[in-house]
Amino acid sequence: MDRRTFVKAGCIGSASLLIQGLDPMMRADSVPAMPSVELHGLPDYKPSPFGMPGLFPGRVIEVRDQNAIVRNRVSQPIVRRMLEQAMKDLTGESSVQGAWAKFIDPKDVVGIKINPSGAPACCSSPEVIREIITAVRSVGVPVQNILVYDRYSYEIDIGSYQVLLPAGIRIVGIQDAFTSAGAGYEPNVYCDGNFFGEWETRSYMASIVVHDVTKIINVPTMKDHSASGVTGALKNLAYGSFNNVARTHRAPHSFTNPLIGMMCNVEPLRSKAVLHIMDGMRQVWHGGPLTQVQEFIEQSGILLVATDPVAMDTIELEAIEKKRGERGAPSLWQHDPASITPDSNVFFHDASKNLFFRQPGHVAAAGKLGLGVADLKQIDHHVL
Amino acid sequence: MFSDPEMTTQTAKDKSSRDWPTLLGDNARIGGQGLRPVHAPEKAVWQFRMGSAVRSAPVLYDGMLYVASVNGVLHAIDVTVGTSKWKFEAAGPVHSTPSLFENAILFGCDDGKVYAIDRHLGKKLWEAPSQSEVWSSPVVRNGVVFFGSADGKVYAVDAENGHPRWSQELGGRIYGTIYAAEHQLYLGCGDGKIYSLESATGKVLWSTPTGNGIDSSPAVTENLVLIGSEDFFVYALSVGTGEVRWKYETGLGIASSPAVSGDFAAIGSKDGLLYAFDLQTGKLRWKTMVGEVVTASPAIGDGSVCIQAGATFALDIASGKVLWRADLGGSIQSVPVLAGDTIYLASLSGEIYALR
Repeated sequence: MDRRTFVKAGCIGSASLLIQGLDPMMRADSVPAMPSVELHGLPDYKPSPFGMPGLFPGRVIEVRDQNAIVRNRVSQPIVRRMLEQAMKDLTGESSVQGAWAKFIDPKDVVGIKINPSGAPACCSSPEVIREIITAVRSVGVPVQNILVYDRYSYEIDIGSYQVLLPAGIRIVGIQDAFTSAGAGYEPNVYCDGNFFGEWETRSYMASIVVHDVTKIINVPTMKDHSASGVTGALKNLAYGSFNNVARTHRAPHSFTNPLIGMMCNVEPLRSKAVLHIMDGMRQVWHGGPLTQVQEFIEQSGILLVATDPVAMDTIELEAIEKKRGERGAPSLWQHDPASITPDSNVFFHDASKNLFFRQPGHVAAAGKLGLGVADLKQIDHHVL
Repeated sequence: MFSDPEMTTQTAKDKSSRDWPTLLGDNARIGGQGLRPVHAPEKAVWQFRMGSAVRSAPVLYDGMLYVASVNGVLHAIDVTVGTSKWKFEAAGPVHSTPSLFENAILFGCDDGKVYAIDRHLGKKLWEAPSQSEVWSSPVVRNGVVFFGSADGKVYAVDAENGHPRWSQELGGRIYGTIYAAEHQLYLGCGDGKIYSLESATGKVLWSTPTGNGIDSSPAVTENLVLIGSEDFFVYALSVGTGEVRWKYETGLGIASSPAVSGDFAAIGSKDGLLYAFDLQTGKLRWKTMVGEVVTASPAIGDGSVCIQAGATFALDIASGKVLWRADLGGSIQSVPVLAGDTIYLASLSGEIYALR
């Protein structure tokens, strides 16, 4: 049982089965048809030129340093140097401040979208977030105009982000996971689709995304994902900015493809997400997104920087696929029914098993929506 | 205004064995040692639904259980029947564990204030402001309330009326609860340092750096300050100088707070283990896997250690073996209240249980 389910199971008993997507009343024996999906963005919103794929379509900067993480501890000074190198290389600017000023204006309200869902074993490193905050402040954004957010406050709590980030930064858990699921979300911006006969067919965009922030810096982690294949820039942004998203996968099927890209395409999310910084200090090659099993977590010391989330996730997908191959795990693209298990405990400890038929094709599908470049040959992947 | 003694300054042996008036039972965080046998519960006497997540720990005094929820509501629950006698709605979410001082219930709020509520009537007595959320539990010593705030300051206010005495800015956010000794305060800070302040003035007496921020609340004995850090280590420091006497490396960061009993100390780590040490030497007595992640604090009963980590566990204090497990009480920071023949649990989902 994964940690998120573990916490919830202790709290709400059988309801956790529904959250996990294993409703015993819903035995899917055949692949369900993709339902029609309605997207309702913010009316009359003028798209920004900063919007995905952003200022540098198809360009991904990768920085590696084995000393960036030693004995599971991330080095703040090395992360600082890596991020500075990557930002200058991405933008072609000679100064770090100049690089950040390409994206951030002093008048911006900056939202930093973290991924705490695998905390504490694999989540957006506080060291990386601290460096981003420092950089944003260096451009002239006042501390009170920087907020760090994700969906679940309890996951942020487990990661101890509150205590590890500088004073003055707002840290926002949009919902507490157990109550008031509608609070904190904008009722007029939503994605409507009935995937498995669920009673609530809408997923709403977070109010802070719609109304509070003017720019988003997306900080995904480098992980496989039991339903979507990988969780990278696209999934962190989409499924962390909309609510009620677990309903899109019900074992063994998943509609993460194409929904992840569709959600990223909704305004104002598409326009506001101007920069993606993938924290690959730790690389989860099986058990994601919630695993705490260190055997499946490699301490890689990687940082990826891009404005194009599709290109970034394509690079991530290649890296995870390669790692799985090296470790003898089946491909993320494999759809063998024999690999499916309904037992999350089995999944978490056996890399040949999975809960869903993974959907790594969601990355390319997002590319078809114009969110970025999914063709590896077309991606300018610059390794420093 | 107040008639009862300063409950938060008492040790367990001074209190009724059924009271549990502050975080980990008392200001010394000894977690009820010696007075409260912890039997495996056989049934739920009652269950109370808060209507919102509960992140903090309940406290018990004079037959009333005081619990605060993330939606900002403080309930006073009559433990004989499991119903709310009164509730108080604060202006923001509450993550702070309440504590008692005479007639007042004290707790911090995300609106930046510490509230003092009349424990009989549920009416506000006073409020004391800070500039950011207060997740720490207010602690009272010698008529002064001490609390830390996410604005990076430690505040001292008058326990009678909330009037400010002093404030001291440190180098990072403060989420842990302060330990208030007779003349010194001890606390951990987001800047990674463990601080000792002079109670009367807030002057920094010493500070000792660790390798990352501190979410843990210290326990203090005659000669040692014990605390965990997000740098994965448990630290035991000299009370007088802050010198590191010993430290022990766990597998991940530590948000749990230690509980101590005599020469026994226990603390959880995010690596999922509960660790037990010889307090003076730091020698590991045992470690036991109790969950995938442990962020809550243990409470020490008579011969056992209880902790909430996805479920609720009681471990043999001598061996660390799991004596019993109850599949409820999943929690991030809550601590079981061990009150004679009854255990009170608050779960993250907002369920309050009385188990017997």
